[in-house]
Amino acid sequence: MSTPLQVYEPFRAGLPKLGFYGKSLWSRRTFIREYSKSELREQHFDSVFGQLWLVLNPLLLSAVYFILIVIIGGATDSTRYAHLTASLFLFYLVSNSLSGGVKSVTAGQRLILNTAFPRIMLPISAVVVAVFKFLPTFFVFFVIKAVIGTPFTWQMLWAIPILFIAIFLSLAVAITISCVNVYFRDIASFLPYLTRTALYLSPILYEASALKPKLRALETFNPLFPILDAWSRAMVHGEAPHMATLFQGFAWAFGIFVFGTYFFLSREREFAVRL
Amino acid sequence: MSLLYDSKPHITNELAVSVRGVGLTYTTSIDKKPTLKSRVKSLGRGTKQTRVVRALDDINLEVQYGHVLGVIGANGAGKSTLMRCVAGILPPSQGRIEVYGTVSTLLALGVGFNPAMSGRDNVFLGGLAAGMSRAEIAANFDEIAEFSELGDAIDAPMRTYSSGMYARLAFSVAAVVRPDILIIDEALSTGDAKFKEKSLNRVKELRSDDRALILVSHAMQTLRETCNDIAWLHKGKLVQRGNPDVVIDAYQEFLHLGKSAAIDEDV
Repeated sequence: MSTPLQVYEPFRAGLPKLGFYGKSLWSRRTFIREYSKSELREQHFDSVFGQLWLVLNPLLLSAVYFILIVIIGGATDSTRYAHLTASLFLFYLVSNSLSGGVKSVTAGQRLILNTAFPRIMLPISAVVVAVFKFLPTFFVFFVIKAVIGTPFTWQMLWAIPILFIAIFLSLAVAITISCVNVYFRDIASFLPYLTRTALYLSPILYEASALKPKLRALETFNPLFPILDAWSRAMVHGEAPHMATLFQGFAWAFGIFVFGTYFFLSREREFAVRL
Repeated sequence: MSLLYDSKPHITNELAVSVRGVGLTYTTSIDKKPTLKSRVKSLGRGTKQTRVVRALDDINLEVQYGHVLGVIGANGAGKSTLMRCVAGILPPSQGRIEVYGTVSTLLALGVGFNPAMSGRDNVFLGGLAAGMSRAEIAANFDEIAEFSELGDAIDAPMRTYSSGMYARLAFSVAAVVRPDILIIDEALSTGDAKFKEKSLNRVKELRSDDRALILVSHAMQTLRETCNDIAWLHKGKLVQRGNPDVVIDAYQEFLHLGKSAAIDEDV
């Protein structure tokens, strides 16, 4: 008798064989791309006006804060507006990953019930969609930066590893929250409050250096804080970020990724009976 | 893994699927949509939030290459659950399932489809969801389009399709997959009578010496014509397995329906 291609046996609450799982996920990469593209098309982001909205939405939001901070608050520094815009654009990458990721598993119910595939593909697709939405804003920021006149330096290349860390963190949180949402479907309703709180607790409306000493704890307990601080230093001021800040951001992303992925992989085999 | 082209031929009567002592017990939430709010509200009240379901109990089955196994049973018998276990969608909680080839499932039609996209785009999306590669789908696109009989409508968004058109395209995508083991769960009841016949003929074409088919259906006449073997499940247990006419007659007797025209039809 030949060797079975697949053996299915009872599982304990542990991880699947990671090598096989990884291979299976890699073999589905075309599907991840097409699935993400179809999500974008469903939201009309494949059209000119759809892409325009992707840029307009954070721009309008930054305009609101510009009125609040620069006009009403009386701040005169033009880099403040560049900081606000750059930080909001990156914050939207994380926020869109969360809002797309939270329902990615529950919305993929038909796929989960009828096809065997690595379920982690669903939150990954949500993050891919968020990255596609982020890309146009990246280029718009360069136009704003040129108009405002903040410096273009080689240190801005630090934005690349910082962006990777931000995507890594987005993926880690999307994986975690998508799994939690299977067990508590109202998590998605709490999400706007959570993201709005994160917006105010992160260095977006203010620069990290302007934080009062007694509020320094925010730096330690907010995973977004070091990433947005490093992003602003590189993209707005054209300076190299502090290595400790970069490491802290990466450590947060890695920690949440390990926890979230373990939680997801150990639970994903029961999704079909929970949905 | 390619599902269209089998690299290793199988010999007739060689084992394709082995199900040994398989049971499935799972815990599911009582609420259709469990929420944190309801969990918090029930704290201290001692109300149960979950229930244990015994969906399959000590199932033993074997399917050989070149054979078609039909699975019958009333609603809730565990037919679809068993198919999901064989396909690797649900892990069993007891026993062992061995699968000796590539498996493709046709448990529901249009899995992975996005109504905002055209039929053409959905052919690729549905094919990729079924495990095919983009090149394989492209190579078979004309066959899929022709089989679906959609004509120019293939380029229209799927949200403009009638349910019949939707089902026709979905079946056409699924029918082009050529795995070693194909599991079909009541997917034949699609479209109009003409398309149903066409779909059934396609399933008959898929019967070959080097492929195993598992067919879940309530259409007894179809099963009598197509299957070599029938397995009858009831409340998660295997009641009888054997010759189609014998098992189907026993099942119909059990249902107190006798051999009626109604039960022989696709329902």
